[in-house]
Parts: sequence; structure tokens; C-alpha cells
Amino acid sequence: MTVQESCSLIDLKDVWTTYEGASCPVIKGVSFTIKAGEFVVIGGPNGAGKTTLLEAITGLLPLVRGTVTVCGKGVPHEGTTVRCNVGYVIQNFDFHPFTPYTVEEVVRMGRYGRIGWFKRESKEDFEVAQDAMRKLGIEHLKDELIGKLSGGQQQKVLIAHNLAKKPSILLLDEPFSNLDLITRDEVSSLLCQVCDSGVPVLMVSHAFDSLPDRDIRVLVMQGGHMVLDSHSAAGNVADLIRSVPVAG
Amino acid sequence: MLEFLIPNNVLCHAVEAMFFASIGCAILSVLITQMNIASIGFTMSHAAFAGGAAGVFFGLPMMISATALSVLTALVMGPLSYRTRMHTDTTLGVLFGTMMALAIFFIALMQSTGRGFDASALLYGNVVSLYREEIYALALIMLVIILLITLFSKEITAITFHRKMAEISGIRVQPVYYLLLLLIAIMVALCLPIVGGLLLYVWLVTPAAIAYQFCATIRQMFIAAPIVAACTSVIGAFVGITYSLPVGPLTAVLFSGVFVSAVALSPKRRVKNQTY
Ligand SMILES: Nc1ncnc2c1ncn2[C@@H]1O[C@H](COP(=O)(O)OP(=O)(O)O)[C@@H](O)[C@H]1O
Ligand SMILES: [Mg+2]
Repeated sequence: MTVQESCSLIDLKDVWTTYEGASCPVIKGVSFTIKAGEFVVIGGPNGAGKTTLLEAITGLLPLVRGTVTVCGKGVPHEGTTVRCNVGYVIQNFDFHPFTPYTVEEVVRMGRYGRIGWFKRESKEDFEVAQDAMRKLGIEHLKDELIGKLSGGQQQKVLIAHNLAKKPSILLLDEPFSNLDLITRDEVSSLLCQVCDSGVPVLMVSHAFDSLPDRDIRVLVMQGGHMVLDSHSAAGNVADLIRSVPVAG
Repeated sequence: MLEFLIPNNVLCHAVEAMFFASIGCAILSVLITQMNIASIGFTMSHAAFAGGAAGVFFGLPMMISATALSVLTALVMGPLSYRTRMHTDTTLGVLFGTMMALAIFFIALMQSTGRGFDASALLYGNVVSLYREEIYALALIMLVIILLITLFSKEITAITFHRKMAEISGIRVQPVYYLLLLLIAIMVALCLPIVGGLLLYVWLVTPAAIAYQFCATIRQMFIAAPIVAACTSVIGAFVGITYSLPVGPLTAVLFSGVFVSAVALSPKRRVKNQTY
């Protein structure tokens, strides 16, 4: 047990958020805390507000009510500082086939926020990015254009982009949706390693048979509410989520 | 500045102006096309056009009034276009229509009061009638653009790749985005007297469109677009002035010609016939 492990890295208190122009709030009164080393799966039906929850944590959305504290910083007020330290693999990306960036460039970009204004990439920044590519097994693609890769390969590039950041927290939004079964297992054990190093992993996912074999905290969202917060072994997550009664 | 190379003073000024303008515009064109803000560039260039028209009508320096209105438009469009992309195109369409209407209103007024020459300079540009200060201003903005692009190369690379991912990686996207809009606003205003309000847009989009045909990475585009634009514009100025043709429209047509050839020769459109 390290000191870090005992303090909460993400702390939501009665959070309400909405999108510009939306008629009613999308997240309604959600509270929870996440500590170092936790592996969290967020489930729930489409449109439940899972993606929105991740955006609220990263400070991309204004809060209507409540507070979000990430690594001790208030969000969205200190959003930029928080985002320098939080990995967030987004759900919807579609790159045009001729998007003029190579895989290596995209992975290196993960560090740009951390490096800060007016500074150049150091040798260390470069090496961390290479290491992230190696972990995802995409070094051989480094000179390919990102848009020319398959959806699953792009997904791996985005994960590497976020690992290159050396995040204190890792958020992933349906990271398995484009991956084949074997790659899912590889990514899953990689996430497990990340988690074991003390970095909490929060993952929105419906691919329950690809979860790592460890204690998993399961959060279920429904209509903007958090309807379940429980622990489960990897094999029982699907049953646990099925057991939640569907409201309305 | 280049008198030692080109003894003909008129030609020399035209070449200098076209050179500086095309390099500045070409760099911005890469950003505009990669960030999908072409409609913003379009609106801004017409704002400069309207500002220039109002300036000429009221007897103010064209550059000042054009800069004022295009910067004002940038300030309005920045917040409008930054967050949501929803309805932005519609709003820009309205704004663009307003600017065009303003410009045409003043031009029509000038023509009905017998100031046709002023009006045509606005429409088509007049590279021959530039003041020395205007050329210096163009050189300065070109240098400023190059400097800022170099200084903020990380941020700009990330933002042109994916604005949301740039934001997530901890980059302050908003100030960089506003800075770019401001640069576009100043650049279009300074180019107005050279290429005219109706053709400004060609310089803001075509260079990147040409470079895109044969460049794989953004770095290559930032180098190729200014080179192509500068060559085309300088050739346009040479030919136009030597044969007394209107320089702005001639160069714009040249750009289109280069673009069509680039598309025809582009490796991106080639399908390899391989036998296995
Ligand atoms: N940009 C947006 N503007 C307005 N409403 C949105 C936006 N994005 C999502 N929503 C609404 O928020 C709700 C939750 O969306 P989301 O968080 O993406 O769901 P999911 O749980 O499937 O990830 C949906 O009902 C959707 O209609
Ligand atoms: Mg979602």
C-alpha cells in the first residue's frame, strides 16, 4: 500500500451536467470516488450518459451543479492542468484516409500538453512515445498514415497516444469496440498492468468477456443516474449488469 | 527590396507583394483546410472586402478599414464557432451574405457617383498601385505568421490533427484558435488591395489544396504550399505586368490550372495495378 493508494484521485459530488442547447440535464446527481489502483467498468444502455460522464471528469463540459475533483484539482476550472495528467481514449473518431499525420506523430502528440508552451520535445518525450507504441505492438506502423489503418489499429494508436502521456488516471470509452478478440485480451492485460502500477482505469465497455481477471468495480448508468456501484469478479460483470432493473 | 534583381520598379513591387502575400496565405491555407474552417476563411475574406469598400467610399485607407472589419468578424466568429459546430455554417452563411451585401452596396454607390476606378480596384485588386508601406506590412505579417507557426508548432500540429484530442492532451486550444483567426483576419485585409475582394479566397484555400495532392504529412504541406503559391503568384505577376493583363485574376486562374494538374498527377488518386 502506498500513500497514494489511500487518497481518492477522482471525486464527484452530486454532479449535474448538460450539453449546450439540450432540454434537460444529461447527468443527474452522480456521486462517487475512485482511488488509485481501481479497475472500473462503466456499463449501461446507449444514451445513458456514460460518455458524458467521462467528459465531465475531464472538464470538457460545464457543470450545472456539484463538484468534480480530479487529482486534487477542481474541474472544469483547472481542466487544462487535469487533462495534462489524465488519459482519455475517446469513443468516436473518424479519420479521413489521407489525414496527413503518421502513427508516430499522433502518439508523440499525446505528450504535447505536458511539454507546455514554447518547449520542444525532449529525448525523453520521444522515448516514452516509442515505448507506448511498443506496448501496443504498433511500432511497425509508425510511418503509416493514421487514416489508412483499420479501425482497430487506429484504436491502438489512440491508446498509445494516451499512454505516452504517462497519465495518473486512464479513461477509455468503449476501447474494445473495434478490436478483434485476441487484441482485446492483449489490451486488457495491458490495462491490468497500468492499473497495477497504481493508475486507476475507468472504462466504458460492453465487451465483458474481455475484462482482466481481477476484482472489478462496476458502475451502471441509466438515464443519467448512477443506478449501481458494486464490485464483482470479471466473469460475473455481465450477469451483474443484466440484473439491474431497467427503469421507466 | 528586390530592385537589384528586377530593375522595372512596377514589376518589382508587384513581385514582392505577390511573394509575401502568397507565402503568408499559403501557410494559413494549410491550417484552414486541415481544421475544416474554410467557411470561416470565406466569411473573413468577404468581411475584409466589405470593410475595404466602406473605407474607399468614405475616403479612409482601404487597409485600415478592411482590417478593422475582418478583425471584428474574427472576434464575433471565434466564440461562435469554437464550441459547437452546430448551426455554425448557417450563421456564417448569413454573416457572409451580410458582408457581400455591404461590399456591393458601397461599390454600387461608388459607381453611380462616377468612381468606377476605385470600385474595380476593390473587386479585382491592383498590384501596381501599392504603396511601399503596404509591401512592408505584407512582409511583416508573413514573418509574423512564420514565427508564430514555428513557436506554436506543437499546439498547431495537435489542433490541426484533431481539435478535441488536442484539448484532451492538455493543450489550451482556445487561445491558439483565436490567434489563428486573428492572423487570417489581418492577412486577408492586407491582401485585399492586391488580389481584390472576390479572389482573396483563392489564396486562402488553393495552395493547401494543391499541396495536399502530393504531400503525405502536414510538415510537407507547410513547406510545399508556400513554395507552390509563391511560384504561381510570382509567375502571375511577371506575365500579367509584362503583357498588361490583370494580375490578380490571371494568378487565380493559374492557381486553378496548377490545382487541376496536381489532381491529375496526384499519387493519392492512383490505383496500382499489381500482378500477384
Ligand atoms: N453534443 C450533444 N448535445 C446534446 N445532447 C447530447 C450530446 N451528446 C450526447 N447528448 C445526449 O446525452 C445523452 C447521453 O449521451 P452519451 O453520454 O453519449 O451516452 P452513452 O451512455 O451512450 O455514451 C444522450 O441522450 C444524448 O441524446
Ligand atoms: Mg458513449
